[in-house]
Amino acid sequence: MSEQGTIDAAEGLFSQTPEGPRLLGSRCATCQTPYFPRSEACHNPECENSDMRDDTFGPEGRLISIALQNYPPPPPTIAADPYATYGVGLVDLPEGLRVIGRLLAEDPEQVPVGGLVALVIAPLGQDAEGREVLSWQWKPV
Amino acid sequence: MNDVAALGFGMHPWGKFPEKRLNDICRVAVESALADAGIAWKEIEAVCAASSRFSGGKGWGLNGNDVVEDMGSTGVPVYNMSAGCAAGSNAFNVGYTMIKSGVHDVVLVVGGEKMPKGFIQTSGLEDATDPEYLRQRCVGLPGPGFWAMLTRARMEEYGTTEADLAAVAVKAHQVGTHNENARFRQIFSLEDVLNSNMVSHPLRLYEICPVSDGAAAVVLCSAEFARKKTTQPIWAASTAVATARFDDGLPRGLACVPGEGRPHHSEARISVAKALETAGIGPKELDFVELQDNTVYYELAFPEEWGLCEPGESERLLHAGETLPTGKMPINPSGGFLCFGEATTAQGLFQICEVGWQLRGECGPRQVPNARIGMAQSIGLGGNGAAAILKR
Repeated sequence: MSEQGTIDAAEGLFSQTPEGPRLLGSRCATCQTPYFPRSEACHNPECENSDMRDDTFGPEGRLISIALQNYPPPPPTIAADPYATYGVGLVDLPEGLRVIGRLLAEDPEQVPVGGLVALVIAPLGQDAEGREVLSWQWKPV
Repeated sequence: MNDVAALGFGMHPWGKFPEKRLNDICRVAVESALADAGIAWKEIEAVCAASSRFSGGKGWGLNGNDVVEDMGSTGVPVYNMSAGCAAGSNAFNVGYTMIKSGVHDVVLVVGGEKMPKGFIQTSGLEDATDPEYLRQRCVGLPGPGFWAMLTRARMEEYGTTEADLAAVAVKAHQVGTHNENARFRQIFSLEDVLNSNMVSHPLRLYEICPVSDGAAAVVLCSAEFARKKTTQPIWAASTAVATARFDDGLPRGLACVPGEGRPHHSEARISVAKALETAGIGPKELDFVELQDNTVYYELAFPEEWGLCEPGESERLLHAGETLPTGKMPINPSGGFLCFGEATTAQGLFQICEVGWQLRGECGPRQVPNARIGMAQSIGLGGNGAAAILKR
């Protein structure tokens, strides 16, 4: 861990709960549509009464695709220094949500599509002040 | 309702022109389109313009106003249309509708863009409530990564190989080499493409369109006006615009609902279906298509999603030469985005120019033989989709 401490990549998107890491979102009580991040209104055109409640998602899902980031992206993306290619997973959660997230894997090229992944809160890299920037990531299980 | 003719097409070649102002390249496109139509600037009754994201327009997307001031301020109405990379096609749709409904007889549609260096930053906002910003901040998935994710899903589903992907780029340059308006006219071998740098696995540098500067313009008019100018007009059979559906399974920000079927651009599917329906034809009746190939993936996926061929059939058609101008399902006889590069908001109009020139039989070595009906299709940020069908 960095001496400068840690900072979340964005506020209010994820949390380390007593049950483990969770994504913080919402769900419409009328049509059951899940949202991540939180949504103030239901966007389902078939839903006749937007009724949003806070909900949490995770900790497990299935990888349906992977992209590798072979070059360092420009800001505001945070990555390891020196840069190392990372993977991004497209993950279907049993709660009916499809979520992207960085893959936490030693060799992202070897991670199979179709496998199970677990939600973890882990550093993406350090910001300009030397703080570890935390985000949700998908770790193959 | 009036029939709508596409009377003139004009283009400034795509490339990088640091010495030219946006007005300069737009003027070349507009003057070419006017000359092609055989009309004077003063005959234009209205201007429909693509609002640029990166250049001109006084920073407000007022690019049509720039063109009018440059060409001569005649007092005509200007409609500036913003639809991300679909803006050119969106402007075409509005111009078409103006003539179809009898509001105007002669309309200029124009789009021009000068691009900054490097891959496009999709969002212009640094705002923690903007989903594009959050995607880059919390994950880090720029445009090429987004396309790579779609590509990998196709590889898993249909067994598409890296060599299949490379073959799309080889074919694009095999055709685009004959297009004097295209920027990247090199011929590539399969090895050249496979040896190009990996940008976002499984996509390589030559399989992704870079950014360019460019401008294109089209003169639209009523049938009555067209008959005074030509005996063989090109007709705008239909245009359609759409936005993405809630349930297409494609996360534009951080997440979405999976919906049914595989993730896809519903805005493209809906606009194409509507354009076909309005034109009164089926997808297999199109003689050729100019589609938005930001990357090779789209040239494989889109024809299947729109019913031009069967799901999983694209690779076979590609290798059999059926997507060449001389094949049964010609795709991007212009060379496409891979050979032009992306001048974002102007793209939809270079495609429509190509469709017009193909229908007139003016395309030389890249000509689709006896082309009678063709479609141009583009998509843009915000879930914008647009399609136009031209015929002779």
